[in-house]
Amino acid sequence: MDWNNQYIHSVVLIVAITIAFLTIMLLVAATVLAERRVLAFIQGRLGPNRVGYGGVLQPFADFIKTMMKEDLVPDQSTRFVFLLAPMIAIITAIMAIVVYPFGPTITLPFLGTFPLRIAQFDVALLYVLGVTSVGVYGIALAGWSSNNKYSLMGGLRSSAQMISYELALGLSLIGVILLSGTLDIYQIVEQQSGWYGLQWNILYQPLGFILYLIAAIAETNRVPFDLPEAETELVAGFHTEYSSIKFLLFFNAEYINMITVSMLATTLFLGGWNGPGVAQFPLLGVVYFFAKILFFLFLYIWLRGTLPRFRFDQLMNFGWKFLLPAAILNIVLTATVLFLMDWLRR
Amino acid sequence: MTTLLFIIFAGLAIGSAIAMVSQSNPLYSAISLIGVFISLASIYVTLAAPFIAAVQVIVYAGAIMVLVIFVIMLLNVEHSAPRRRRLKFLLPMSIGMAGILLAETAFILYSVQTAENRLPGNISNVGLTHSIGEGLFTSYLLPFEVTSILLLMAIVGAMSLARRTTILSSTARVVPGAQVLAMDIVNPRAVGDMRPVETETTHEAAHLLGVDFQSDRNQED
Repeated sequence: MDWNNQYIHSVVLIVAITIAFLTIMLLVAATVLAERRVLAFIQGRLGPNRVGYGGVLQPFADFIKTMMKEDLVPDQSTRFVFLLAPMIAIITAIMAIVVYPFGPTITLPFLGTFPLRIAQFDVALLYVLGVTSVGVYGIALAGWSSNNKYSLMGGLRSSAQMISYELALGLSLIGVILLSGTLDIYQIVEQQSGWYGLQWNILYQPLGFILYLIAAIAETNRVPFDLPEAETELVAGFHTEYSSIKFLLFFNAEYINMITVSMLATTLFLGGWNGPGVAQFPLLGVVYFFAKILFFLFLYIWLRGTLPRFRFDQLMNFGWKFLLPAAILNIVLTATVLFLMDWLRR
Repeated sequence: MTTLLFIIFAGLAIGSAIAMVSQSNPLYSAISLIGVFISLASIYVTLAAPFIAAVQVIVYAGAIMVLVIFVIMLLNVEHSAPRRRRLKFLLPMSIGMAGILLAETAFILYSVQTAENRLPGNISNVGLTHSIGEGLFTSYLLPFEVTSILLLMAIVGAMSLARRTTILSSTARVVPGAQVLAMDIVNPRAVGDMRPVETETTHEAAHLLGVDFQSDRNQED
């Protein structure tokens, strides 16, 4: 089949986007369930295990239940912004998924050869950072428009936190960019193949990996950095006033953000779809890719079950006085080593 | 296809710009400005300059506008009635400026384009990461560094303007008895330092805070 034909290409793209969207949504449902079951396990409880086999259908039951609730818009709220905020949150969350390669270029019988990614462009990494930085508005505007003190505090906290940790997040990735010399995520993954996993960037960028992981957890507003929604002080923070489908949008956006952040960690540091046997069976790459993502999602849940919440001044001090200098140090070290290696080779 | 995209995003940009100027609510203006930035970024993508587009979104839409919205949210600007116009000379001046801008546009459209038609085309690499990086670190190194020093100076200036010498107002009072204070109340330079400072007597606390305890009690009597 002629994959370069414009119309066939469009149809393939639409199919690919649909598959990716459904996969991510199923992954969100699985993560929600896994979070409840694993948290319960950590705390010595059973967790939801009644709906379906072992509680498999619990997320769908929750979804239907939440959707059936009354859609409240608080009196005296800024109605337009109140409606806009959850849309910004979910759109920016989903948009970031477009650039990730789910697997290597595969060949299917009767269909031909095509790469398992939706979009390819030069600045994929910057695109992800840009979309993430726009995502702040969803939370900030939600907090402001609710006309609620708790929501406003949550929105302010989250914008302050996301601005602070975005810097460390972006700077921690520069080491990887220096190593690979490209911003194209697909190429970065391809460069990590071979040598039986010894070319994964995590081995050359351990500091960058740790910094990225910390900044990413803060960026997704998860424990121990979940100050914007701190249930005990802020009554769920920025989404206090949201109910029904609007709440679901925020809820989904948070989990999709977790997944995209895990995808970025996987592709940049853990070799993406690389693993044993991928050269012979390219479809195995998809399995490895999702296995690595599931590892990071488990890490998120594990942290939630283990760590207490930061205080706000601790959060700010940690971000500006430790993470940021450490990220800059990582860049300087990486650049120096690369320069010296280049110099020695001459 | 490119023309269609250009028309869509240029229309969005102009519409958002008009909305930004005409809104009376500052937050709506800020949101419209974000719309302008994102539409402009989309136009950069169609002009084969993806790096500039990404940086436009990250820096302007992502960082600067978040700060603007942050300030608007913190100040909680009320929806106020239109105030009396001050600075009346601004109106004729703005008309004159608009005239100059139109004249410049007309000049570019009529003389520059007819002189030599050089479209960048698809082979252009002006907006790609590699060429921008190479330009910044070779031929434009000095302007680049000077700009960064300028920004640093601006940050230091803003810090020195914003940092207050004292947090307590002149009417602040001290509660009688021993007390525990946070370090950042006692010393304004220790911002965010929550370590406790314990005092034994009221006088000690008043001295630490720089509040005149004696005169305070006289007022109570």
